[in-house]
Amino acid sequence: MSDTGSVPELHFDGGVPGFPDARRFVLMRLGADDSPFSMLSSLDDPDLEFVVVPPGVFFPAYEPEIDDDVAERLGLRSADDALLLVIVTVAERAQDSTANLLGPIVVNLHTRAAVQAVLDTGAYDSREALLPS
Amino acid sequence: MLVLTRRANQSIVIGDNVVVTVLEVRGDQVRLGIRAPRSVTVHREEVFRELAETNRAAASPASDSLSALARLRPPRPKEG
Repeated sequence: MSDTGSVPELHFDGGVPGFPDARRFVLMRLGADDSPFSMLSSLDDPDLEFVVVPPGVFFPAYEPEIDDDVAERLGLRSADDALLLVIVTVAERAQDSTANLLGPIVVNLHTRAAVQAVLDTGAYDSREALLPS
Repeated sequence: MLVLTRRANQSIVIGDNVVVTVLEVRGDQVRLGIRAPRSVTVHREEVFRELAETNRAAASPASDSLSALARLRPPRPKEG
């Protein structure tokens, strides 16, 4: 586990789909102190960043099951070891932005190992509106 | 594309580290087991494509939309 200064550094051993070489990211708050959003910025590609948010903020009923393969890849022993984040697709009008509930990011809080998991049940959308329309 | 024919319980090896095993063939479904190191992700193809497309659409949003986005908050639950 390594930190860039005091900023948490996450490592995605396999990158994420579409960006297989982006393995190291830092997470920094986006916005005011009460903002739930963060920016996940790539250390391997300075132009690459994603807005992320803990899914519980906008989707309180979202309780994905982490499958055994993901738990094993991340060395998770219990759900308490994991932090969930979902990637936001920012729309031209901010309030139309969506979150990817199909592929949440799962982070091992102790080791900062991370992976973009897939919830293949058919129940979740990759572009779920953050706000009701 | 390399085409191989396998029976149940036979495997193929990709590179040095990825092993795909046919676990079971039942009707028109094939059950595959995949052993791969953590540096190699494995996904159903159509799901992978969906994730890759959405990740690309989400990557590096324009900076002028970020401050409005960062101000979004979930709607307060209505007092009953």
